[in-house]
Amino acid sequence: MRPGGPSQPTPLETDERTVLVIEDDPGVRRVVRDVLREEVSAVFEADAGEKGLTVAAAERPSLIVLDLGLPDLDGIEVCRRIRTWSSVPIIVLSARHSEDEKTALLDAGADDYVTKPFGPAELRARVRAQLRRARMAPLPGGDGPLTVGDLVIDVARRTVTRQGTTVHLTPTEWGLLSALVTNAGRTITHRQLFHAVWGSAHGDAQQYLRVYVAHLRRKIERDPYAPRHIVTEPGVGYRFEPDA
Amino acid sequence: MPDAPPHRTTLSAYGTAPPAASARRRVAATWVLWLAVLVAATALMLVVRPRLDKAHVSLAFLVVVLGGSAAGGRALGLSLAVLAFLLFNFLFLPPFHTLTIANPLDWLVLAAFLVTSVVATQLLNRAQERAEAARQRAVEMERLAALGAETLNAGRAEEALVAIAEVMRSALGVRECEVLVPRATPSGLTSLVRVAAGGGVRDGAVDDARPWSLAAWVAEKRQVAAERADGTKWIGGADGSDGHLQWPPGTTEVVTLLIPLMVRDRTVGVLRMADVMPFTLDPSREQFLSALSYYAALGVERVALSAEAERAEALREADTLKTALIAGLSHDLRTPLTTIKAAANALRQRGSEEAVAIEEEADRLNRLVADLLDLSRLNAGAMPLRLEINAVDDLVGAAIRRVAGALGGREVVVTTASDTLGSGGGRPLLVGRFDLVESLRALVNLIENAAKYGPPAAPIELTVGHDGRMIRVVVGDRGPGVAPAERERIFEPFYRAPGVPPDVGGAGLGLAIARRLAVEQGGDVSYAPRPGGGSLFALTLPATDDVVPNDTSPSAADRPTS
Repeated sequence: MRPGGPSQPTPLETDERTVLVIEDDPGVRRVVRDVLREEVSAVFEADAGEKGLTVAAAERPSLIVLDLGLPDLDGIEVCRRIRTWSSVPIIVLSARHSEDEKTALLDAGADDYVTKPFGPAELRARVRAQLRRARMAPLPGGDGPLTVGDLVIDVARRTVTRQGTTVHLTPTEWGLLSALVTNAGRTITHRQLFHAVWGSAHGDAQQYLRVYVAHLRRKIERDPYAPRHIVTEPGVGYRFEPDA
Repeated sequence: MPDAPPHRTTLSAYGTAPPAASARRRVAATWVLWLAVLVAATALMLVVRPRLDKAHVSLAFLVVVLGGSAAGGRALGLSLAVLAFLLFNFLFLPPFHTLTIANPLDWLVLAAFLVTSVVATQLLNRAQERAEAARQRAVEMERLAALGAETLNAGRAEEALVAIAEVMRSALGVRECEVLVPRATPSGLTSLVRVAAGGGVRDGAVDDARPWSLAAWVAEKRQVAAERADGTKWIGGADGSDGHLQWPPGTTEVVTLLIPLMVRDRTVGVLRMADVMPFTLDPSREQFLSALSYYAALGVERVALSAEAERAEALREADTLKTALIAGLSHDLRTPLTTIKAAANALRQRGSEEAVAIEEEADRLNRLVADLLDLSRLNAGAMPLRLEINAVDDLVGAAIRRVAGALGGREVVVTTASDTLGSGGGRPLLVGRFDLVESLRALVNLIENAAKYGPPAAPIELTVGHDGRMIRVVVGDRGPGVAPAERERIFEPFYRAPGVPPDVGGAGLGLAIARRLAVEQGGDVSYAPRPGGGSLFALTLPATDDVVPNDTSPSAADRPTS
């Protein structure tokens, strides 16, 4: 008989990828487990917020899937408390939450969210993106040009070429692009984006943020109505998708 | 009765009219008493007749006449005056024991006595009648005042009506008083409240199958009517809409009296007073009854209004409950839908054909849940909007991305309206002030609608343009179009064009929601037939005049248009 209950800590191994699912509905928990079984070596489960925080601290998972509608704790609170000691990627599952709540969640430190009901493929793609992002950080552009589709982004020389042709970006557009690329694969809120470019939380330019992004998109996307890299998350912000 | 409610106590103090039999006995006793006084006075004076002067006799008789008159009224007074006149002549004016008079001057004395007695009796009685009328009015005033307080104080509107009915019943001294109101019964009337002598009170409408034919006539003609003991009827001639009712003459003995209740030219009910014994209506009470029936009419009106207010309150509560229920249901439905979708997906991976249908239906259910949520949100009123400066690129791009999965690979083609293209053919960046999330929802609904009704092979065409102060996204399909008669109705919730099979699309909410979301932001969704066949649905949203401060120095074609 081993002391310490069923969740015996496993030895920490840096190359072993594990996921913690904090979700009160057993059906959804099973779905997440099935989706992620092929992606990771172990899936831990918790059916409440406090329990999830305990398991997160004990197991140090590579990724956390967090449901917003937990019986004991607010999802934002769980996010905030994990962020006090860890930068582990957090993907939130939400059922009926408004864009404002999603924005608050991302501002509180969540990396992405998936809206219920979601397809397994959608969740798998988001989880893969987060795991990859966590591995490749920090920004690889510091070493050399980053190739994204038909774009070559050279952060050191501050140049962008599309199919070999130089794209002229204004300082604002460059700021936006580098903030998006730095957070590639992650949904970045309007507020976070503004802060990254202008260095403050508020300003006159804030109301035109969407227009600046639209200009940037027209310069680097082949079809601005079907963007492959700068994707709009309506009411929340933008996400840079490198592998389109 | 210390435990009774206050208004009952007050009402019981009004009492009822004394029964007729005992009143007659009392009158007879008074007559007997005063005749006896007259006889006694005469006998006393006969004993001392030699020492009496004519003046003494006439004064003594006058005192008796006035006394009798005061106690028994005009009839007794006059009777006593005539008797005293005869006794005076017969016993005290010589020659005694005859009605002849010796001294002609005695005629003067006798005549003076008679005139004085009669006039004094008349004056006394008139004064008494005035006093009585004043007392009556004081009582009526007191009742009206008490009634006013009661009706203001009554918790339920029905209680005020009961108070009014009880006052009317006791004022007339009848057995029961009832208020009838219009209802969907065979007679068109039903009893709302009823009070009866001895404290029988019912407040609240009953299922009333009694044939109120005369009452219905009263309600319709706005005239007073009455029923006699022999079943014959009396009806008033004057229409009561100007506030003047014609009452049955005071001599008419009736068992039922029906009074129309009117508020501002509308008949709100009928007041019914009834007794088993015939009663007459004292003409002096007509004014009082008129005033009270107006009170009763207002009471009926108040009952109706409070019922209406209760109904409105109930509706409001039901609405709140419905909204909360829909929101809760939506949440609770989405969690199992996730599980269902995932299970179906796993089955499909293993090659199950049916699993595809399960997944599709789960998606359809999810869309329906979203529609219901939107509808309840819109119906709740005061939808919070985030009107921000947005590029149409974002709106169109996000809409195409969102519908991509549901279109099954069908193409969506975006073009810029020819009048919006720049001089060099460049596509200007269109900017408006709108809520991106809600506008996206509207546009997605329009695209899904086009996908539903258009032929599967044909692409869905989006045309982006601007139109003065508005930006415009037109969604075109090559479907059957919409018949002219249906063109506004398609924007009603749950409306479905005739002939559309039930498995096409959702619940008929998409267009209704799209239009309402657009209107909330100062835009609109409108329909136009498409040249060459099909439909055009135009979403318009307010453009913005704000000049974007720019360090980007974009080319002319990229500059915001508005």
